Amino acid sequence: MFNNQQIMDLPAHSAISFKSLSDKALLHTQLNWLTFYIPLIGVLIAVCYFNEAFAESAQTYLLIGMPVLVAVSMLYNMVSIRLQGFAVRNHDIAFKKGVIWQQVTVLPLARVQHMEIHQGPIERKLSLASIKLFSAGGVSADLQISGLTHDDCKNMRQFVQNYRQDDTAPQAVLVDE
Amino acid sequence: MSNSIIEEQTSSNDWQKVSSWALLYFVVHFSVRFVKDGLLNLLPMFVVFVTQVENKLFWAQVAGGIALISLLVYSFLYYLNFKFCISSDNEILLNKGVFKKERLTLKFGRVQNVNIAEPFYFTPVNLVNCIFDAAGSVSQEVVLPGVTKDYAQQMRKQIFAFKAQQQEEIQSTEQSEAETTENRLSISNKEIAKFGLMSNMAILAIAAFAPFINLIVDFLEKQIIAKVEGFYEQELGMLASAATFAMITLIVLLVLAAVMLSVIMSLIRFYNFELYFKGQKFKRIAGLLERHQLSMSMDKVQSIVIKQNLMGRLLKRFTVECLQASSGGLVAGVAAKQNKQTLVLPVLNSEQVDSVCQWIYPWFNSKKLAFKRAERALLYKNLGFYALLPSALVLGFCFIADINTLIGLGVLVVFSGLVTLSYQRYGYYMHEDNGRFYMVVRKGMIGVHYRVFELYKAQSARSISTYLMRKSGLKSLYIQLASGFAFMPYIKQQDADFIIDFTIKQIESDTRSWM
Repeated sequence: MFNNQQIMDLPAHSAISFKSLSDKALLHTQLNWLTFYIPLIGVLIAVCYFNEAFAESAQTYLLIGMPVLVAVSMLYNMVSIRLQGFAVRNHDIAFKKGVIWQQVTVLPLARVQHMEIHQGPIERKLSLASIKLFSAGGVSADLQISGLTHDDCKNMRQFVQNYRQDDTAPQAVLVDE
Repeated sequence: MSNSIIEEQTSSNDWQKVSSWALLYFVVHFSVRFVKDGLLNLLPMFVVFVTQVENKLFWAQVAGGIALISLLVYSFLYYLNFKFCISSDNEILLNKGVFKKERLTLKFGRVQNVNIAEPFYFTPVNLVNCIFDAAGSVSQEVVLPGVTKDYAQQMRKQIFAFKAQQQEEIQSTEQSEAETTENRLSISNKEIAKFGLMSNMAILAIAAFAPFINLIVDFLEKQIIAKVEGFYEQELGMLASAATFAMITLIVLLVLAAVMLSVIMSLIRFYNFELYFKGQKFKRIAGLLERHQLSMSMDKVQSIVIKQNLMGRLLKRFTVECLQASSGGLVAGVAAKQNKQTLVLPVLNSEQVDSVCQWIYPWFNSKKLAFKRAERALLYKNLGFYALLPSALVLGFCFIADINTLIGLGVLVVFSGLVTLSYQRYGYYMHEDNGRFYMVVRKGMIGVHYRVFELYKAQSARSISTYLMRKSGLKSLYIQLASGFAFMPYIKQQDADFIIDFTIKQIESDTRSWM
């Protein structure tokens, strides 16, 4: 029978001090959302311009609703980015996220199957990147950390690539930007 | 290196481009992806096109032309950016993407299989696609299109030689304790027929007829319902309710046919079922039309699932599944079963379940599993969200539509019962046996579902909590496995944290191969 007593000093994931995302992460998220909202607002303006009946009935609600929706999204993004953090330990990577449902995921480096670094147009402009780490069996990436600097991503990739499970010390050191 | 691969030197690695014939592969690949993923998204635009646009032929030609040019340009740009490299660290590096540049890294050790596919359009030029199958997400296999067969085979040899070398190293350090006694289990065909009653195999067969459903319904209406209705009217003199009786008769007949079909399919799949376990290996022989032999090494088993649905409860039978690493997700899980990667042991009674599980986990005894249940907060939350809220909505609807409001009460009673059953099923149990640690997670509602796995085989661990959960000192636990996942909601925070930390320690300190 398994005994759930304190039998050894386990490295506690709840005691991890997480590193915040890049300073430009919030700007990237806000711009990403604006690329969704601006075309949406454009379409609504066009519909209101061409369809007077729709404009009469919906214009007031849209004039109040859209700015409120955009403002709430922006505020949500601010909180969301502030609550995100990552930590690279000797044998695993931990990532926390979530505003309503807060998640802390710990992915051991020994289980990383492969990884990807993504850079979209906005990310390229801001020198940011996203890293995706895949283990076996998951529907999508086990860890997806957006809003890191491109250098951080490359260092993390190098660190994971150099990892050997039987080593007590990591082969590479993650360079803080 | 083959002639079809154009080498390109960079400072650190030998980055290579695939043959220009690979452009064909990209065109076909993106066309298929467009049809599979894109067409559904374009449905609203199609509706607007059909209903609003006047000169349909002209605009259809314009749209088709633009789509074709976009496809060709995108494929060409993708081909230009597609570069790969076999690094000196035994990794495959891949650069790809047009708008979003991607760098994919796949270690040789992670490659499960190297498949060589020969599409028809490569046959004249003697080229193949070399597919590196990794135990990652379903869409994350690496494909090198348009390489020569020799090169693909050389890659396969190189990767398998690397893996074999790794395996030898592991084996030399570990003491092999191969079991010499042979365990055997055979299931009678009468029992296999019961599996037909328990399983939903008929649904798979019916799904195949889905595209013809309108034709079938029309046929049934004209040929069968009308005749049965006539029979009831003429022979039994039931004029008023003949149509209803005809419909009921048809439904009963369809259900019986589905059950019969399911039984027949079970017999075809599991006829004369025999299972052997010797030297840490399963061997299963079964099948009516084709005697299929499946072998599975015990080390490859990622988790065991023991399932019992409503029918299984009535028949007191379970289904056991020994799952190997799948490429991720529900779709891949189904594909794994179809590809015979999953060892399915149908219709076992509880003693047989225990004895089969004990071949793999000698400590396993289903009657002695002392499960720790979820906290009561889960029951209260689920009652609120899944019983009270829907019944309030139904009550409101009944009130507005002037229907008997007792329906709302009925919904409340039924949903509360189901929520309570689901809450009672949730449980987890941890076990230590000879320095190895195991976990059993139970869930279900009317049926029951157990997942048994060794902790070190887990892939990652996650805790999930809301503000109210944190206030109450609770967390939900999610453990990702190479075959599915284990989820245990609403347990004490310190227990969830301990399980996560302990699981991570097992993964990081255990040097045994997990796959």
